[in-house]
Amino acid sequence: MPKYAMAVDLERCQGCRACVEACKVENNTSQGVFWMHVFRLEEGEYPETRISFLPRPCQHCDNAPCVKVCPVGARYKRIDGLVLTDYERCIGCRYCEVACPYGVNFFNWKQPAENYYMDWSDPDIQPASGGEVPPYRNPELDGRYGSEQKQVAGGGHFRGIVEKCTFCVQRIEKGLQPACVTVCPVQALVFGDLEDQESPVSTYLRGKQSFRLLEETGTEPRVHYIGGRTPGTDVREIEPVEGRVGA
Amino acid sequence: MGITRRRFLQGSALAGAAAGAAAGQRLLFGELETVVAAHPALAVAPSVEDFVPTTCWIGKQDCGIIARRINGRVISLAGQPEHPLNLGALCPKGPAQITALYDPNRVKTPLIRTNAKGQSGTWRRASWKEAIDLVAARVKETRDKDPKLVLWQKGRSKAKSFYDDAFVNSLGATKLGHGTYCSDAGYRALEYTIGLTGVLHPDFRETRYLLSWGWNITNGGGNKFCWITWPRQMLEARERGMKIVQIDPRLRGAGPFADRWLPIRPGTDLALALAFSNVLVAEGYVDGEYLARYTNAATLVRNDGTLVRVDGVPQVWDAAADGPAPLETASQPALDGAYTVDGMPARPAFELYREQIASYTPEWAADVCGLAADEIRGVAIEFGRNARIGSTTVVDGVRVPYRPVGIAAYHMSQQELGFQAVRAMLMMTMLVGAPGAVGGQMADTSWKIDKNYTALDEVEVKDPPYGYTLKSSRYFPINSGFPGMVAKVMLDPRRYGVEKLPEVMITHYVNPLVSFLSRREFIESYAKFKFVADISPWLSETADYFADVVLPAATLEKYEGPSSANDQYTDAVALRVPAMAPLFESRGEIDIYLDLTEAVGVLYGEGGYLDELNKSLKLEPPHALPLDKKPTPREIFDHWALAQGIEQGVSHFETKGVYVKGPLKPAKRYGYVTDPPFGGALHRFYGESLLRYRNEMQAKGAEEVYWRDYTPFPTWRSLTMDASPAEYDLDLISYKLIEHKQSRTGFMPLLAELAPRQRLDINPRTARERGIADGDEVWVESQNAVTGETRRVRTRASYTEAIRPDTVGMPNHFGLWADPRARERGPSPNEIYYVGEGYMTNTADQSFLVKVRVSRA
Amino acid sequence: MSANAPGTPLPQGIGRITPGWLTIVGLAAVAVALGIYAYSLEASEGLVATGLRDLGTMGGATWGLYVTFVVYFGGVAFGGVTLAALIRLLRLDELRPIGRLGQLLTVVALLLAAIAILVDLGQPLRGLVNLFLYARPQSPFFGTFTIVLSGYLFASLVYLYLDGRRDAAICARTPSRLRWLYRLWAAGYGDSPGERARHRRASFWLAVAIVPLLVVATSTLGFVFGLQAGRPGWYSAVQAPAFVTLAGVSGVGLLIVLAAVVRRVAGSEDRLGLNVFRRLGGLLLGLVLVYLFLLATELFTATYTGEVVERRLTEALLWGEFAGIFWAALAFFLLSLALLLWQALTRRWSIPLLVVAGLLVNLAAIGKRYLIVVPSQTHGQLLPYPEGSYTPALGEFAVIAGLFGLGVLLIALFMKVFPIVELPEEEVPAGA
Repeated sequence: MPKYAMAVDLERCQGCRACVEACKVENNTSQGVFWMHVFRLEEGEYPETRISFLPRPCQHCDNAPCVKVCPVGARYKRIDGLVLTDYERCIGCRYCEVACPYGVNFFNWKQPAENYYMDWSDPDIQPASGGEVPPYRNPELDGRYGSEQKQVAGGGHFRGIVEKCTFCVQRIEKGLQPACVTVCPVQALVFGDLEDQESPVSTYLRGKQSFRLLEETGTEPRVHYIGGRTPGTDVREIEPVEGRVGA
Repeated sequence: MGITRRRFLQGSALAGAAAGAAAGQRLLFGELETVVAAHPALAVAPSVEDFVPTTCWIGKQDCGIIARRINGRVISLAGQPEHPLNLGALCPKGPAQITALYDPNRVKTPLIRTNAKGQSGTWRRASWKEAIDLVAARVKETRDKDPKLVLWQKGRSKAKSFYDDAFVNSLGATKLGHGTYCSDAGYRALEYTIGLTGVLHPDFRETRYLLSWGWNITNGGGNKFCWITWPRQMLEARERGMKIVQIDPRLRGAGPFADRWLPIRPGTDLALALAFSNVLVAEGYVDGEYLARYTNAATLVRNDGTLVRVDGVPQVWDAAADGPAPLETASQPALDGAYTVDGMPARPAFELYREQIASYTPEWAADVCGLAADEIRGVAIEFGRNARIGSTTVVDGVRVPYRPVGIAAYHMSQQELGFQAVRAMLMMTMLVGAPGAVGGQMADTSWKIDKNYTALDEVEVKDPPYGYTLKSSRYFPINSGFPGMVAKVMLDPRRYGVEKLPEVMITHYVNPLVSFLSRREFIESYAKFKFVADISPWLSETADYFADVVLPAATLEKYEGPSSANDQYTDAVALRVPAMAPLFESRGEIDIYLDLTEAVGVLYGEGGYLDELNKSLKLEPPHALPLDKKPTPREIFDHWALAQGIEQGVSHFETKGVYVKGPLKPAKRYGYVTDPPFGGALHRFYGESLLRYRNEMQAKGAEEVYWRDYTPFPTWRSLTMDASPAEYDLDLISYKLIEHKQSRTGFMPLLAELAPRQRLDINPRTARERGIADGDEVWVESQNAVTGETRRVRTRASYTEAIRPDTVGMPNHFGLWADPRARERGPSPNEIYYVGEGYMTNTADQSFLVKVRVSRA
Repeated sequence: MSANAPGTPLPQGIGRITPGWLTIVGLAAVAVALGIYAYSLEASEGLVATGLRDLGTMGGATWGLYVTFVVYFGGVAFGGVTLAALIRLLRLDELRPIGRLGQLLTVVALLLAAIAILVDLGQPLRGLVNLFLYARPQSPFFGTFTIVLSGYLFASLVYLYLDGRRDAAICARTPSRLRWLYRLWAAGYGDSPGERARHRRASFWLAVAIVPLLVVATSTLGFVFGLQAGRPGWYSAVQAPAFVTLAGVSGVGLLIVLAAVVRRVAGSEDRLGLNVFRRLGGLLLGLVLVYLFLLATELFTATYTGEVVERRLTEALLWGEFAGIFWAALAFFLLSLALLLWQALTRRWSIPLLVVAGLLVNLAAIGKRYLIVVPSQTHGQLLPYPEGSYTPALGEFAVIAGLFGLGVLLIALFMKVFPIVELPEEEVPAGA
């Protein structure tokens, strides 16, 4: 059984947020939803200024607080390590969201189809879009995954439920890498199977110092960071994304 | 289903009670249930999935893209792994442009204006035939009078052979680009000095010490490459041990990658380069062999600044023969000393340089640049030491001089002293013999000498009347073709000795009102065009105000190219292939130009568009296009591909996207070992012709502002903006964000979500002194020290410790209004810069220097 | 059993519709209608109609007013039923007249809490099914949904039924349109000494069993927050006891207010005498003291230790964005403490002053519940997200107003069908 994990090389990340965009398109997430987020951080005073970047996918924790608190078992941990949400079971209580110290959960506040940035109902684009909303809608995301055959992939399925990063379950079950990993211009993200000694993530982590985010909260994340350090408490986020969704 | 699995603890508390000790422990300690995930199973199989290779359509370097399609509908864009420039990766603009592709706000059909110009347009839809016929008739009318009065202006060049070359030449039109806002002053400096069209960049595979100079490393790209190729090469170089010195008022783009940050005051780069050179000369970091052999540093200069010539051939002092000799025959060209030739005193150019550079000490520069003298000296010495003068190395079996130091610089050339600043920076690398060495200074992916190497040396300064671009004028003998200056000329032609003004303009995906500086001049001058046709997928602000006709261009859905995929180590070429049928009624630009030239009557026959295409694409029989038959773009690319020796023709690109020719040999990459060395260009350490222009300009009555920077060696002078009143106490810089490309992306929702609005980067110290809190609305007001004019924009303060306290910065985007989604994202800093004397270079390039004051709104 | 003479009215104004009653019921109905309207908007647009948003990049709070009131109503429910049980357990016969009020308060508050949970859910209908179908004991919510809802509801309904049988029997003697109900409720209970003793025994043992369960149940409400290691401000061992104490405070406080109202409108001045209020006041005083001690402990821990996020959060509470609510809540607590202390020390108890204290502690409790729920989300991020913000939308206030309206409506209706205050012994005709 594979043991999926991700390595993030902070000495390579240039904070370009290509991963954020690749994720949004691959997983059809709607406006204001950042399953992958890249912090751009600044600390120190001029001229001793330090700039750093911190990609933040779901940490797919082994001791995931979100899984523990879910009152209906919609959020679950697969034996291969993925922490997923059963979109058909989630009741939208958002307990996972407050329990998660990483801020990776996103609730569908609106009808997703009404939250894809613009009005796609223009009849002139129907011939090209086939009426799909958004026009780049990926039908694979409606599939069922894993032996438990649950609807867990992608975003924008139902109003009033919580969704989050799936490590691109629809891709990894086909033997592909998550979209964020593939797109990274500087190969700062590495994904694979920790059980397999020759997998990219195993070889990348071997012999390198690494840390995990907020380890003190006991979450046992599956995302390992190389180089850099846990952001200190005096860091400031610069260039935040536009995350707020209006009514 | 027959699969064993440990299920959730279901049901009520009963389940917990029944589950025994293990479950009890789970309950107490909150262990997690797992669900066995085993067999990959896809419930929904896409009906028909296919992949089409194409290229990125937003950025500069046309990264290879694979469009994933389901039933012919593009659902995602990923990188092409085989494309040398991006190797399967993309920057944020890559995947995000999918929303641009489907954008219902694109121009859907040809539009014809129904209201007066100079205001937001109202339009009626037209057929392609009607629109093309209308444009053709107006072009023809003006062209019959004087083809030069047809102005073709572009913002991007995705198929230079088809647009800049064939189309412009077949019409005989005047061409203007956007380079004067980008890096043309640097291009001119390099063309003039070493004959290469480019700006300074390193040999990342080998460079050990890099001055990243005004270069927004990870956000700025380069003249040849974007945000993927450079950062990747930079990171690999760093992992091999390269050190980076970031010379920039703002740190952000260099982020965690700079080993040292010299936060220089904007506009003083020339002074710093001179001081670095001063230290190199003083400390003896001088590669005499390179200077004497491959540059004109040994050439003898008379007291009046002209070169000593015998039969028209410049002479050096051959120390072996103790007499003057042409460089080719001199066995020991002297770099120092004073000599007498034909009874007149003469000294090697380098001797003059040594004398001049002596006054530019680090202490002097420290004051000018706002840096510490030791820091300047320290960096110069490290640069000199790392250059390892005299060493060689073997690359692919070829022995080449090894000088692993270089400079990366790009848009910083667009400053008042930009031409000379870039020249001085290049000369600094010339002192250590770095140009064309392994690990040394590069400027292009080959050593092919540009025609400007000669042309810029042989400009004839003429008397009026001048053409409206002021080419060969007493104002700008070296002239980059500046749309801002054209606008000024149109407003006051007599002032510049111009008689004929352009009448018809075709704007090819360019948006001068927003992406060029100083909107006022453009609004006033564009009102004078009799006819404007715009070719673009979106309604630009310029089209909104001034276009008579808008022709909708396709985005990813067209054939376009060829584009170089050379990453400076591997040679390759790529084509854009339509990822799907053009949306709405849009069409590819090549289709549009084929129709337009046909309607104007310049498609067929000699000198026509097809003939010009044969020239620009180098199509020889049997692959030449017949001159009497209108081809499709695909057919043209098929001819071209076959002419390139690609057997499958265009279908190679339709299946693979890129054609990789293979690694570049050292004899192509390194100037020292090309045949002839450095492409046969003698490097102009001493700029004799610059002095000649100065004299001729003076003789023809040009004011000092035009001729003062035409000096044979780069010479510092104080900046025009420093004459602004003291209350304008901050320098404004503008810069790129990786999420946006000029004014072309502000309305793309996925990108606007990442970088939503304009801001003013300000040091918290500076802000607090003015009572400005993080996020406060502020006025940024600039002042023109020459005219006294002030301009202001309103934006939000954004605290950052990564900027000099006397400098504020704004990203060079936003300020759009034609697309509803782009509004209310704040202004463009371009609105508060100035065009005109004192705010441009001696080469008719835009300067991005201005003094501002900032106050709470 | 002989029937009362025709024309004898039922006690405590049952069945009599007065203009005052109509006004109150009308106002409450308007509030309910408003709440339903606000929720219908929310149901059609989605929770985007609220001021809630995601934590992190969206810079919001994902739990807000609704969860605040789930906790508040849960606390009130605890207070009501616990007091009713304690009356049995400790034989606090003086307080028996308010026993039914306590039981009723619990039933009503539980209903309101359950509705508040449902309106907060993104998928309320799924919630109704899945919360029971897939209930997981590992989730602290499990406690909320099973023990709190079902436990309280069971206990309070049992008490309500048992205690009501005698009064039902009495009321059944009077012919009225509701006679069938009273007969049904009384179910043959005749209030004989034997029956009475059996009744008392059952009540006592039930109380013995239920009081610890109630404490545990309310603790689980605290655990919903207190077990979250990743959320500064929540992760605390004092969370559960503080929740229980504050629940008692708000429950007893509200009971005082209700008792005062009932005393007036149901004409029960004699049954609900000053001694009842004195007892309640004393109880409230004790609970407020314990709660303030826990609050001080919590604050001291948060400010004394150097943990930056905790400190930042405390700063936001003490003088930042939430300072207004924090200091107001604290002032209300202290003011009510002063009122209660003064009355206790001077031994001069006044019902109006007790009502004021009861109202104050409830406002303070609502404020404190809000401060538990919201700031840890907006200001308690461990990763460097920008500070979040949450301003409840008008619709959220309307829904909450609707919930209070519903509560008032239910109690008012109850008062018109059943004696809200246990009927006095002497009304029992001799020889029955």
